[in-house]
Amino acid sequence: MTTTEFGIVYAVHIITSHFGSVASKVCECLLRRGPLSSREISRLAESDINHTKVKDILYLLIQHNCVQAFSIEPPDGSESKATVQYIALFSNILHRARYNKFSKVVNEELGSQCSGVLDGLLSNGRLTLEQLIDRDRDSKKQMGSEAIRDSLQKLVAARFVERVPSPEPVLGNKDEGPAQKKRGAKASKIFKEPESLDERILEAATPVDAIRFPFIFEQGSSSTVADDDSNISEGKRKQPEVDYTSGPSNEVIWRPNFEELIRRLRHKACVEMVKERRDEGCANVMKAMLEVGRSQEKKAKTDKSVQMSMGSIYEELIKTDAGREMTQERVEACLEQLSATSSYLPAFVIESDGSYIVDFKSIISVAQKDEMESVVMRRYGKEAFRMFRYLSQEDRFVETDKIADAALTEKKDTPQILLKMWKDGYLHMQKLAVTGVYMPFLLWKVNKLVVSRQMLDEMYHASLNLSLRLTHETDSEKELLLLPMEKLEGALKERRNKYRAKSVLLTSARFKLDDAIMLFHDF
Amino acid sequence: MSKRKRPEPKSSSSGINEDEKNILGLIRSKQGMGATTYEMRTATKIQPTLITRAVASLKKSSLIKEVPNMNNKGIKHFLAVEFQPCKELTGGDWYIDGALDVSKIEGLKEICVRILERLKSKVVTLDVIYSYFEKASSDGDKLSREQTREILKNLVLDNVVMEVKSNGLTDFSATRIGEICYKLTGKKSGGGEARDGAFALVPCGACPHIGLCTPDGVISPTTCVYFQKWLDF
Repeated sequence: MTTTEFGIVYAVHIITSHFGSVASKVCECLLRRGPLSSREISRLAESDINHTKVKDILYLLIQHNCVQAFSIEPPDGSESKATVQYIALFSNILHRARYNKFSKVVNEELGSQCSGVLDGLLSNGRLTLEQLIDRDRDSKKQMGSEAIRDSLQKLVAARFVERVPSPEPVLGNKDEGPAQKKRGAKASKIFKEPESLDERILEAATPVDAIRFPFIFEQGSSSTVADDDSNISEGKRKQPEVDYTSGPSNEVIWRPNFEELIRRLRHKACVEMVKERRDEGCANVMKAMLEVGRSQEKKAKTDKSVQMSMGSIYEELIKTDAGREMTQERVEACLEQLSATSSYLPAFVIESDGSYIVDFKSIISVAQKDEMESVVMRRYGKEAFRMFRYLSQEDRFVETDKIADAALTEKKDTPQILLKMWKDGYLHMQKLAVTGVYMPFLLWKVNKLVVSRQMLDEMYHASLNLSLRLTHETDSEKELLLLPMEKLEGALKERRNKYRAKSVLLTSARFKLDDAIMLFHDF
Repeated sequence: MSKRKRPEPKSSSSGINEDEKNILGLIRSKQGMGATTYEMRTATKIQPTLITRAVASLKKSSLIKEVPNMNNKGIKHFLAVEFQPCKELTGGDWYIDGALDVSKIEGLKEICVRILERLKSKVVTLDVIYSYFEKASSDGDKLSREQTREILKNLVLDNVVMEVKSNGLTDFSATRIGEICYKLTGKKSGGGEARDGAFALVPCGACPHIGLCTPDGVISPTTCVYFQKWLDF
């Protein structure tokens, strides 16, 4: 999905808050114009930023995983050198607003020491083990180098932390020769959507799993699976001007693995959805299924899990206290419930010859539908809500009067309500001219992809608004906040308490809204 | 000697002229749909002014009535008095005098919800709910099976009621496999309620002017009245 307007504005706002306005101008240039070289950024950025400054900012943004460098192999026979270009990593920029969620995931799974190490990587972007140990020495609550090393090992084993990707992967030329287009009969049936440039770059930059998550993590120089050309990826590598993959003593540089962190949040959201729509028992079974299938998920946004047997699900389930209270019969009943389809809820699990598959797409679609319908209800009212639900179910163009009949709304009011939703991008409209009829018929439809994109843009906008409002409230009480709390009395104390309550409301609203953003963008 | 009163003219049909007879015949043939003046002109070839005169006379004699077309308000239909206007003209079962009878619909929905609440531990089919309306004491409260289904479908669109297909097992053993049954959604039914969206809970989610809002504009998060109200607690 290409980035929406307010997606860009929101991402730029995050960069401004964390790195200042000059960095945000560089970032905005990349987000709006796509891949650019440093010289092009210097020329095109909103205010003139000299080339050296641009390079410094790019290094900063790369350090914090917001930008990735790459180059494209020049055509065969060409003597021109490949120019290094940069792309902004939109998703990673948005992740900056949810670091505390990532921290919580790791804290729950691996404990506070591991989440402490992860926090170091999140706030610094990328660090070597040595740098993590140095950071710990300067902190108030020291963990000790052994604990740091141990925690890092656990984080890598759980894939919450990864080796940094290749600094400047080289992409092959896009055109393939005619001979390569010959495909077997089977291959022609497997349609793979063409990859975007971003996807190609990230794929080329990502090392193979064995290098990305080194299994052997020995002491001394080997903790340090040194980074050299032969190890990294199967693709080509170019020696960068500045080597970002290894630290001063050729140590591995580590960074948070956002893919795995998002996967965990996605799984959590799925379990929560099952708990709300089914019950606690089904949620426990779902949790076990997600655990069984997790290591085999190829990407975070996968549609379906791998097949798993009842036995493997039960084996995983009884590892937890709640799971141990469930009999096999109860688990079978839950699986049957999860596999059932009604007009109210689709199946969350697909049963096939005694094996079970989690249907992520189905679970996420229910959550997305809840979000969409809630907005329609709050913004346009009950009648619009009925019409929207009717059109979503029909999933085709329907004429105005038919909608009025189905939704039992006044025929003369129905067109206005539909037009309001259409103007805001929540409905598709088509005119149908019929011979002999003076006024054309109006046909309406809900296009879920278009509505999702529209909602996502509005959610970025809302999240930006919540952040700006909090800044405004804080600025308004700047002087009051400088006074120590214990010295305040009467009206001042009340004002201070009110500010605190507003701050909590705005922050928690933004926190929950971010879950909805992940639902539409990351999950 | 008293004068004998001239006898009153017989039933109106015998007092109408040829044009009126033809027009009345056409209107009667159209039954519940009636005829428009355009249709009268085309079918009878009578001149428009004569048609207007004839229609006025038939109306005065209470042989025909005028019914507006709810789907096309500019066009009038003329029906013979013995026929009721069909759904296409009135707008449907739920229209009265050309307007949707919202209070009646809401009242019927409320009754269905109460029935489902009372029977929440049982499996409730369309027939169960229809039987309540079939036995209603006054004609005004009676509903046909189709009308009952329409009310339930409307409750489904309201997300107050859900349709569940019977699988013929356990609770559904008394129902046919595949038969649609009805259940309340929400806390009253014991679970399955749709969550309130996170976006809908912030002012921007409900805002009709979000398209006009910009960080530094006239409508902005710092000047927004909805934000002000939301934070005014």
